[in-house]
Amino acid sequence: MGKLVGIDLGTTYSLVAYLDAATQQPRCIADEAGQTLLPSVVALDASGTPVVGVPAKQLLLHQPERSVYSIKRLMGKGIDDLQEELKFFPFRIAPDSQAVIKVQLGKKIFTPPELSAFILRELKKRAEEFFGEEVTQAVITVPAYFNDAQRQATKDAGRIAGLEVLRLVNEPTAAALAYGLDKRQQGLIAVYDFGGGTFDISILRLKEGLFEVQATNGDTHLGGDDIDNLLLEKALDEFRRGLRVELREQPERVQNLRQALIAAKHELSRITKASVRFALGRKEYVLELTRAEFESWIRPIVERTITPCQLALKDAGVKPEEIDAVVLVGGSTRIPLVRQRVEEFFGRKPHCELNPEEVVALGAAIQANILESGVRDMLLLDITPLSLGIETLGGAVAKIIPRNSTIPASASEIFTTSVDNQTGVEIHVVQGERELVKDCRSLARFTLKMPPQPAGVPRVEVKFLIDANGILNVTARNLHTDQAQSVQVKPSYGLTDEEVERMILESFEYAEADLQQAQLIAARNEAETVLRATDKALSQEQAQQLSAQEREAIAAAAAALRAALSGQDYKLIRERIEQLNQATQHLAELIMDSAVQAVLKGRRADEVNL
Amino acid sequence: MVEHSPAATQPSGTEAAARVCWECKATLGNSHFCPACGKLQRQLSDIDYFSFFGLPRKLDLDLTKLEEQFHQLSWKLHPDNFSQATAYERALSLEKSAMLNDAYRTLRDPIARALYLLGLEGVSRQGEDKPQAPPDLLEEVFELNECLEELCQAKRSSTDAKQFAKLRQRLRRAWQAFAAKLAATEEELFACFRAWDALVDAATFPAERKTKLTQMSEILNRHSYIRNLLHNVQAELEE
Repeated sequence: MGKLVGIDLGTTYSLVAYLDAATQQPRCIADEAGQTLLPSVVALDASGTPVVGVPAKQLLLHQPERSVYSIKRLMGKGIDDLQEELKFFPFRIAPDSQAVIKVQLGKKIFTPPELSAFILRELKKRAEEFFGEEVTQAVITVPAYFNDAQRQATKDAGRIAGLEVLRLVNEPTAAALAYGLDKRQQGLIAVYDFGGGTFDISILRLKEGLFEVQATNGDTHLGGDDIDNLLLEKALDEFRRGLRVELREQPERVQNLRQALIAAKHELSRITKASVRFALGRKEYVLELTRAEFESWIRPIVERTITPCQLALKDAGVKPEEIDAVVLVGGSTRIPLVRQRVEEFFGRKPHCELNPEEVVALGAAIQANILESGVRDMLLLDITPLSLGIETLGGAVAKIIPRNSTIPASASEIFTTSVDNQTGVEIHVVQGERELVKDCRSLARFTLKMPPQPAGVPRVEVKFLIDANGILNVTARNLHTDQAQSVQVKPSYGLTDEEVERMILESFEYAEADLQQAQLIAARNEAETVLRATDKALSQEQAQQLSAQEREAIAAAAAALRAALSGQDYKLIRERIEQLNQATQHLAELIMDSAVQAVLKGRRADEVNL
Repeated sequence: MVEHSPAATQPSGTEAAARVCWECKATLGNSHFCPACGKLQRQLSDIDYFSFFGLPRKLDLDLTKLEEQFHQLSWKLHPDNFSQATAYERALSLEKSAMLNDAYRTLRDPIARALYLLGLEGVSRQGEDKPQAPPDLLEEVFELNECLEELCQAKRSSTDAKQFAKLRQRLRRAWQAFAAKLAATEEELFACFRAWDALVDAATFPAERKTKLTQMSEILNRHSYIRNLLHNVQAELEE
């Protein structure tokens, strides 16, 4: 079995972490440049190969039509959900997108789980390089407020990337785990998680290592991205008004401006004035932004986080002053205005000792360790954020599992037929708090097979079970025969099992590409070594004993190898290495003989062990 | 999907008598685990939420004790403990911990607890879906609805601020009166709980207990009606 890791698949950044057995502390794994944060950006390079992270961010600036970011905002959603968001995103959505979004990168089409899988695969590789062994299992975090489709999409992404997802953990809960490592802590904790794309608030009770989530609320359309989009709108308007330049028609320019604005936003967390420098043609424009101005713009966005906080506290039956500790999670909590507002609302200074961008991954690593080692001194009791209901007559919703129920949770309903010999019953399952189906989120439709009997006679019990991942499982049992029976599931949003299987197969191509890359690197390294050794050998005394022909052959082989190095064909490189080795065979022997003789000269015959 | 291994599927009708551990074949008691080898066991199909917690069917519960038990059982039954165990054990753990959470959720809330007991005892609630206005409250309910209607009207047309404030004040007072009634109903309910428990302890005849349950059902209907009313009025006041 390989190593188990914790992964934060974030809107803006993704991270991978593990639990260091020696220190019993979680640690994020860094890349070669020492960076733990992997930008959640995917792009196609010139040869049509997907790239992730910093190189993808570069491509985003120059070729936005081949790139995509904030993929998390597209997970588990259909085309109807996205109308608002599409205004701000430069990427192209394929016209036949329906229940699953299809994104066009260059000439290729990808679904959000496939795109997330590229990011996961990159993190998987990073961890494998770090450990020197395979990584096949992971705990992946999701926003607490993610619905069933969004969770399933995350699990699908894991599968496509070749990872067995042992558990999906809610992000605020993971953060609480990281903070609550000192298990002597007791009391009520509020986790305020303001990330790139989503906002979550969770209220937890911690008692002797038991983390019991009391209530959760949030907004899956609220994050740092909205702040960035607002800044972008204002800047674009400014350009149009002041300079009569409509930048919206130039996606590349817009991306550049966006990056500059984000940089300024970061600066404004440290200082009270920042300049946004933007090059257009040969001129450079400067937008001066003060913290006061910035705060006045984003105040409504920050205020949107307060209502979910109030609702969560109400559900938990707790007042703000009863909270013992407030924890900040997510990059957007670095903004001074956000910290002020949180302190104001809860009446206490929030904790931010742990890096708000790493804390979720650290928590995931702790949970991964709990699952791997069966650690008995910490337990997470999480909840489902949305009520589960089934459609009844007239489009009403009958709630069967209320929101904030501890998971795993279940409910059973008995179904029968309304017509003689009816062969199937359709069950429509939804998530949400409203009274009517049309105002809730459709989860899936299930077809229940019925035996051919008079109306009202069959009795089939359906058990709806929400597992520890927050995902719905359905089983059915015929009560007359006491036999289990199958239930056909048609998810309303998301990929079917067949589609995921196909994508897993396709992903082997990318794994193949990764393998090619690894082989290429290895071959190149060996080539460099051999060439250096050859040069050194040629400078030795023994080289003088070679014939002119031999020396020419060596030079030619070395030149051919150098030529192969600039290409991508690792097999060719290996061939040329072999040819160079053959050409230098005699030289090697000459040097070897001298070396042996030198050794033999210094010793008596009976001392030499051959 | 929850998997069921054929070896441990209990055919109905051969319940308590032949219960043996699926792993070591030792005879099982009522515990969730095998007393000999400690393996998690299959759920009995006739178990109810009270017996899951080892409690009698009594309604005046010590919530602190219940929570303590819930926590202890959570430590033992949670799927996290079985992530490296066999698929069968994982399925058992999923089923058991779902039942634990369902049971706790139901028993910790007095209303849900009472409704559950009624269900167990086979007492159906009359007018469960749409509780009727309790006869002794009809007049006050009528007045309240009038007040509500007037307020809605005032919102639609442009009434002067003072008149509007007066209407809201009236409505708020009516709300408070009903809130007091709700509290009184809850007191009645708890008294009913204690009476029921006494009947259980005294091992009285089913007929007596049935009467008590019918009484409980009526109190629950009343409670439900007033609660809905308050909820609707609150929604109006908050707008």
